[in-house]
Amino acid sequence: MTLVYVEHQDGRPDDASLQAIALAREIAGDAPLHALLAGPEAEDAAAGLGAHGVATAHIADHEVLATHAPVALARCIGELIERLSPSAVAAAGSERGNEVMAHAAALGDLPLAANCIAAEAGDPMGVTRIRWGGSLLEDARLHGPVKLLTVAPHTVEAAEVGGGPTAVERFTPSLGDADQVVRVVETVQQSSEGGVNLADARFVVSCGRGAGSPEGFAPAEELAALLGGAVGCSRAVTIAGWRPHTDQVGQTGTKIAPEVYLACGISGATQHMAGCKGAKRIIAVNVDPEAPIIANADYAVIGDLHEVIPAITAELRKAGAG
Amino acid sequence: MALAVAGGIFARRARLLIRIMRLGKPAPRFDDVPQRVRQEAVVAIGQRKLLQRLGPGVMHALIFWGFIVLFPTIIMAMIGAVDRDATLPWLGHQGWFAFLVDLFALLVLLSVCSAFFIRKVQRPARFEGSHMGEADFILAMIAGIVTTLLLWHATRIALGLNEWPASWSPVANALSNLFGGGDGTKLLERVFVWAHVLLILSFLAYLPYSKHLHIITAVVNVFFGRTRARGRLEPLVFDDPEVPEDEIRLGSGTLTDMTWKQMVDTATCTECGRCQDVCPAYATGKELSPKLLIMGLRDHLLDQGPKLLSGEAGADPQPLVPNAVTDDVVWDCVTCGACVHECPVSIEHIDHIVDLRRHLVMAEARFPAEAEPMLRDVERSSNPWGKAQQERGDWTQGLGVKVLEPGDPAPHVLYWVGCAASFDERARQTAVSTAKLLQAAGVDFAILGPRESCTGDPARRMGNEYVFQAFAEQNVETLNESGVTKIVASCPHCFNTLANEYPDFGGRYEVMHHTELLAELVRDGRIEPKTGGAQITYHDSCYLARHNDVMADPRQLVEAVGTPVEMERSGKRTFCCGAGGAHMWMEERGSAINEERVRQADETGAETLAVACPFCTVMLDDGVRTSGSKLRVADVATLLAESIDGPPG
Amino acid sequence: MNILVCAKRVPMTGGTIVLTEDEQAIQTRHLGFTISPHEECGVEEAVRLIEANGGESVVLALGPSEAEEQLRDAMALGIDRAILLETADEFDGQATAAAIVAAIEAERASGVEFDLIFFGNESADSGNYQVGIRVAHALGRPCVTGVKGITVQDGRARCEQETASGRDVYDVPLPAVVTVKEGLNLPRYPSVPGRLRAKRKPLATSAPSGRAAGVEKLRLRLPPGQGKQAEILGHGPEAAPAVVEVLRRAGLVA
Repeated sequence: MTLVYVEHQDGRPDDASLQAIALAREIAGDAPLHALLAGPEAEDAAAGLGAHGVATAHIADHEVLATHAPVALARCIGELIERLSPSAVAAAGSERGNEVMAHAAALGDLPLAANCIAAEAGDPMGVTRIRWGGSLLEDARLHGPVKLLTVAPHTVEAAEVGGGPTAVERFTPSLGDADQVVRVVETVQQSSEGGVNLADARFVVSCGRGAGSPEGFAPAEELAALLGGAVGCSRAVTIAGWRPHTDQVGQTGTKIAPEVYLACGISGATQHMAGCKGAKRIIAVNVDPEAPIIANADYAVIGDLHEVIPAITAELRKAGAG
Repeated sequence: MALAVAGGIFARRARLLIRIMRLGKPAPRFDDVPQRVRQEAVVAIGQRKLLQRLGPGVMHALIFWGFIVLFPTIIMAMIGAVDRDATLPWLGHQGWFAFLVDLFALLVLLSVCSAFFIRKVQRPARFEGSHMGEADFILAMIAGIVTTLLLWHATRIALGLNEWPASWSPVANALSNLFGGGDGTKLLERVFVWAHVLLILSFLAYLPYSKHLHIITAVVNVFFGRTRARGRLEPLVFDDPEVPEDEIRLGSGTLTDMTWKQMVDTATCTECGRCQDVCPAYATGKELSPKLLIMGLRDHLLDQGPKLLSGEAGADPQPLVPNAVTDDVVWDCVTCGACVHECPVSIEHIDHIVDLRRHLVMAEARFPAEAEPMLRDVERSSNPWGKAQQERGDWTQGLGVKVLEPGDPAPHVLYWVGCAASFDERARQTAVSTAKLLQAAGVDFAILGPRESCTGDPARRMGNEYVFQAFAEQNVETLNESGVTKIVASCPHCFNTLANEYPDFGGRYEVMHHTELLAELVRDGRIEPKTGGAQITYHDSCYLARHNDVMADPRQLVEAVGTPVEMERSGKRTFCCGAGGAHMWMEERGSAINEERVRQADETGAETLAVACPFCTVMLDDGVRTSGSKLRVADVATLLAESIDGPPG
Repeated sequence: MNILVCAKRVPMTGGTIVLTEDEQAIQTRHLGFTISPHEECGVEEAVRLIEANGGESVVLALGPSEAEEQLRDAMALGIDRAILLETADEFDGQATAAAIVAAIEAERASGVEFDLIFFGNESADSGNYQVGIRVAHALGRPCVTGVKGITVQDGRARCEQETASGRDVYDVPLPAVVTVKEGLNLPRYPSVPGRLRAKRKPLATSAPSGRAAGVEKLRLRLPPGQGKQAEILGHGPEAAPAVVEVLRRAGLVA
């Protein structure tokens, strides 16, 4: 059987976790698929898993799990591994998914392949995983009694397979003091100052060094505001001190997944593309028809961002937007 | 006795200044003596740079040559003040000398009047920031000295003391009619000679406390001025085994980091403002004025120097930036060299700026944040665009250009493409055009492709001498191993660095700019352009024209393909596009230099703005877009290529 | 205090990645190299903490001999000494962690205990997300990941992670392991005196013992769909209506 660690929010499983379930099903084949959930409203989230083919949802109860506690969660996975002997354990390749699974791998000295896009059952288990934020693929084999993997978000389609309702089993993991040290003790709310969060925005417009100065971002900000979107930037812009790191789109910055990503004056280095691979449509605005981004975008406008962005804004206003 | 007093005041001050300058670091200016003597003769005695502006130049030249001619009269006056009937042996008895004296005294007086006219009536903007009162006083003193000289001679003629016909001193003679021959005149004769001597002596005492000191420092400064290529910066030495690591000179952080030559520079400034007048940064509203830069350093020297000598400054002398010069001023400079070209007394403003930058960047890591990506990229990715070197040859796709691999035989000429033409879409056209032209002319050439790293020019101009030297050594190694002897470069900055700066690192090659090679090919008939007749105005790149004297060849190419029309500021007076001094990667405060240049180009009425530099291409094209001009900006190579096979599809 | 920073030498890829013929690695012949971006911030943070609290900082890398370049770069920013675990092979997450643990235990044997150990959250190239966590478990220390803010006081570390709505805060006792993300700080630009000193700072080399791979790399390949060409919507401002049409089809405009 295959076990999946499922993350959830507000009583609903995360999309990335549902995608992980889809990949886990391929590994499981006809064998049963189990899930692990923890935290508040886990039961509600578990209810939605049956449709995705999860036979049993194990819900861990412990006060430390009220907030994110990665080591405690890893212990839960460890306990289930011992009890259920899965051949593989999967999770979403989200920040927390990767973290929890790494803890689980460390606890059991088990192999972990992060951010897989494909896997097939077997021993050793063949996987394909991403490197360089998605610009390169690695075909690998996992060797070990239990194989751990996380699934790169937006690479596998979640699918409802019309399974029956998920059975729910609650358990209380036995946690030592050391397992409870690492946990969220405080949350600091940051007022979004009316701006839209970059990671969640449905529209993102970014500029590179071609913006020329911090003031050069003003047209982009106007356009983003008009569409209820967010403004991003390239790494060079952050190093130049024009915009804060929180605006940086890229492999080591924020990874975005908007409906439309308007990349202006950005050449398209792999580390930047790694940050916007999740975008549904990429429109590149660049004076250089040979820029690498043109080969990675869906659409392109050959022109100067200082002229094109205001033109788009004007066209939108004409169309009555904003 | 008066002489002793004045001399003493002078000497004391001079000694202080010399002691301060001995605090300065060494400068390698004791070579090339024949060239230095030539410089002295042409620039100092011949006043050549002053004459670049004819009106004021003639005015000053006359005063200066007048001073030389009249110098013996100072001694004659001192002798005559003590003994009415004594004078200099031999010279004092020469009538022709009296004539010269009379003539030059008048010329000096007229020149002083024209100087006052310039300053008070014409009021040129170059004097903004200069100490006008001090200048007025000096001019008045000169007038006074010359007037008292003439009046003294006039009274002597009136008393009949002249040894030659009075008509040989026409001016003094004319003045002598004001005086009778009696006791009143005898008294006046004494008065005038003593007034003359006292004016001279007080002037002598005043001299080292004012900018008039230039009459001595200029002679020194011109002699020790640069003799080697203008575009070459003097390297710093990082690995001298005799210098402990914490004493390595990293540019100028405090007064004692400056070289003695730089200190003499600051003491030589006459506040004439010609440099300020031609500075593109100043012209576009920035804080930088080369004149104020030097004056600021001078004031710092005079303020801090004595404190350093007396120990009052303590262990931590005041940093030059921001006390003598603000950060903005240091970074405003585009290293175009217009100031250095104008300066009549061989002040080397660029060297000051670069040394200030060197300390800020290398010792303090303190520089405009927007330049940081470029500095990091140039070091890690070997080019300031931060693109992967393996993509460097991508522009040659489909052209069949040979990429030189290690072990290949050296081509007749290596085409050094440069980072801009390799990676920037506008500059790339120049490389494509140049390659096609070289192929059409049957030239045996190759490029280094990914093995060509940045020459290091932007890092060096920003002050990161350390990173620059790493590149220089690396590139020289690559070039020397490949056996290349002849290089053609399309970027004037690459051209300048390869030709003038790499020899310091063991790289000696015959380096041409692409316009030089193309012009040669046209002259030899290997390229046959057809003229299009369009009006073309050619913009001289600072690093080609001013730093390296390449002006005729690009113009020959322009003439071959169209009708040339010159801008007012052309040739060595060219106005920078704004990209130099690493400004391609820095923000600009105030109005834009490139837009100003585009405006100047527009004024010619030409349709095409021809350039010979990838930075100029990008900056001026940007300027055209932002100002709404209709000019087409194109490299001379592109225009030439089009004239052969028609415009690109 | 004593701080260890673990850093990896990674190439700086451009717009496209080219593989070696045997498909085992990236063709790096003309590429520049750097410390992986998250780790650069770890280096800077370590330098700042030692500047504030006194003590010693150490940088460690597992990689080829050329990784000395990155170690010297770290020392140019102020790290006191370096350790190179020299190998031409690629180690997977488990092997890397084991080698680093061995090096840390060697340090312990010579009397050096690290209060804080910094890792990058994930390396730019292999992106395995696990080395820091594995090392922490082997040493029995708490590990906080994805850290973008850290304060050390009274033997404890307060660590902040960025979330969609703000920051999550962890509070763990030292000694601890922290994996950091770019954005934690802005690394300083090295001064030339710093670079010159770095050339002379101690760099100890040893050969790490490997172990059988848990994740065995078979080959690398480029993702499909590379080299697609975008549909050109137009040139300059005249393309604006076409762009708006794309936005409309995406449901962003009514």
